Amino acid sequence: VIERAVDDLARHLDKDPAEIRRMNFVPKFTEDRPSLMGLNVDSGDYLPAFERALEMAEYDQYRKEQTSRRGNGDVRQIGIGLSSYIEMCGLAPSNILGALRYAAGGWDAAQVRCQPSGKVTLYIGTSPHGQGHDTTWAQIAADELGVTPDDIEVLHGDTATTPLGMDTYGSRSIAIGGAALHYALQKIKDKARTLAAHELEVSEDDLTFENGAFRVQGAPDKVRTIPELAVTAWTAHDLPDGFEPDLTATATWDPKNFTWPYGTHVCVVEVDTETGHTDLLRYVAVDDCGVVINPMIVDGQIHGGVAFGIAEALYEEVIYDEHGNLATSTLTQYLVPSAAEMPSFELDRTETPSPTNPLGVKGIGEAGTIAAPPAVINAVVDAVSHLGVTEVGKPATPERVWRAIKDAQGGGA
Amino acid sequence: MIPAPFEYQRVDSVDEAIQALSGEPDAKILAGGHSLLPLMRVRLSRPSKLVDISRIQDLKYIREDGDHVAIGAGTRHHDVANSEALKELCPIVPFSAEQIGDPQVRHVGTIGGSVAHADPASDMPSVLVALDAEMVVRGPGGVRNVPAVDFFKGLFEPDLSHDEVLTEIRVPKTQGRGWSYVKFHRRAQDWALVGVAALAQNGSGPAIGLTNMADRPIRASGVEEALSGGSDPGAAAERAAEGTSPPSDAFASAGYRQELVKVLVRRAIEEAQSR
Repeated sequence: VIERAVDDLARHLDKDPAEIRRMNFVPKFTEDRPSLMGLNVDSGDYLPAFERALEMAEYDQYRKEQTSRRGNGDVRQIGIGLSSYIEMCGLAPSNILGALRYAAGGWDAAQVRCQPSGKVTLYIGTSPHGQGHDTTWAQIAADELGVTPDDIEVLHGDTATTPLGMDTYGSRSIAIGGAALHYALQKIKDKARTLAAHELEVSEDDLTFENGAFRVQGAPDKVRTIPELAVTAWTAHDLPDGFEPDLTATATWDPKNFTWPYGTHVCVVEVDTETGHTDLLRYVAVDDCGVVINPMIVDGQIHGGVAFGIAEALYEEVIYDEHGNLATSTLTQYLVPSAAEMPSFELDRTETPSPTNPLGVKGIGEAGTIAAPPAVINAVVDAVSHLGVTEVGKPATPERVWRAIKDAQGGGA
Repeated sequence: MIPAPFEYQRVDSVDEAIQALSGEPDAKILAGGHSLLPLMRVRLSRPSKLVDISRIQDLKYIREDGDHVAIGAGTRHHDVANSEALKELCPIVPFSAEQIGDPQVRHVGTIGGSVAHADPASDMPSVLVALDAEMVVRGPGGVRNVPAVDFFKGLFEPDLSHDEVLTEIRVPKTQGRGWSYVKFHRRAQDWALVGVAALAQNGSGPAIGLTNMADRPIRASGVEEALSGGSDPGAAAERAAEGTSPPSDAFASAGYRQELVKVLVRRAIEEAQSR
């Protein structure tokens, strides 16, 4: 609604929709900043993502092309849609959920078990169903413990084995569950350091830790790796006083704030003014989800989200007939678009770390679904606004667009 | 999603098929199954028996026959779409076959099945009506040839009695005649909201066939008349909705289709005239 309203305002003020957004962005900030919503936003630097998206989409050139086609009265008109979003992710500080009368809290959990076999098992409270936690969580642990991701197994989805968490929704998994894993890994490292110091007969301060190995400063051949320490912690034949056997740790994490990813998407369409058909020419997304752990998974999340958003804007609709029967009860009538209907997504990122969690991550699960519908609808309306159209309902089917044009021209239909 | 019970018989020849159909008024022929099986699954169709002709090799061919090209009814859409002979001799047919469904559908569905199903939203029927193609039908009494325009009698209603088999589709050679098939649909694999098959005037008069604009594929005779009288495509296309009765459904209203068809007919004529 806001992004549609901003475009409307731009039209009323006779300003370029890009210019009006540029004038209104909040300047860069890296620590919590109060917002009108009453919540603090963690960090943001909105303009660079916006400018990068416009540059990638060749915004100025398409504006020129649009002017020229309008001048010629072409049947196929160009429309450019902008959508800058910010999302409240990383649900959520438990006390805020309590104030909102949620039944549950917003924390999450992770358990790390360094097996005597050298393998590492992660038991996580988040519950991926296609978001790639097996890969990303393994990467986080591999980085910290100096083992390869191949040696890490991630278990989830069964509370008979995993710690209780709050699941996967609200783009919260990495910001909450990932942070819980981070803290569990710190406990493992602390424990391992204590044991390594004991075995190497030095003080903990004399140890360096790199690539999964503790070394004595000045005597680098004196070394203990995490897998070695996992064995001695398990056999427990010679442990320091008070040391709990087994190299295992659990952590929970309840954030102090939400995370606030953001970005700008640009959609360029060509609308056939005679039939109302919309062709997607370009789709550019520049997102900032804080620190990125696995770029391919982040891209995949954006691809899926944008596809969903495009579906909402142009295809999917639940229709009941005049007798109240569902007319879209199968996938023949309920139009889920396929790859054939999608343009190639052009993606880039800016990276503004979140101060809310130790990983600096923000979450990316819903970005595409948030940004795409207004970007596409803004583009469709922009393509035919010179014909007097100010609004097209979702989904912008060929018939809706065609009727909007007819109505604007006073012809009715 | 489970069909009603039915008998199943696979046959190896057309004669055997006719025999299997005799005395079974509720039997249906199964070829690719891409039209029939979805209807059976929701029990809109409840045949007592399926006679599977998909392995009759004698029904799979594309060959020149005088001033026609003969297409065996069991030929897959994919083979129609990729036939060099058809691309040269009657290019509108392979082009339209390529517009049907998606690759999986085209590798299993057959031209004969699509035609005998007589769905007005299917692409091939309106192309055949525009071409004045002929359907070759065999039954216990022998062989008869039916012009396309007579073959499609109504919604899912081909000119076939229960013990007859559509064996061949004969399309005239159209070399040198401009053509176009314009399919307007939402997603790549969807049926046409509206489709237009156009053949330019050249020896024969102009011919325009319409997909999904009535209970059967029809000719836009008003447009053809205007073109023959010398109208330009734009003026002629204004008559495209005459005599149509398109459906209103979840995809589009009848009123929109009747306006859309004018645009698509004009574009189809322009394309046909330019190639």
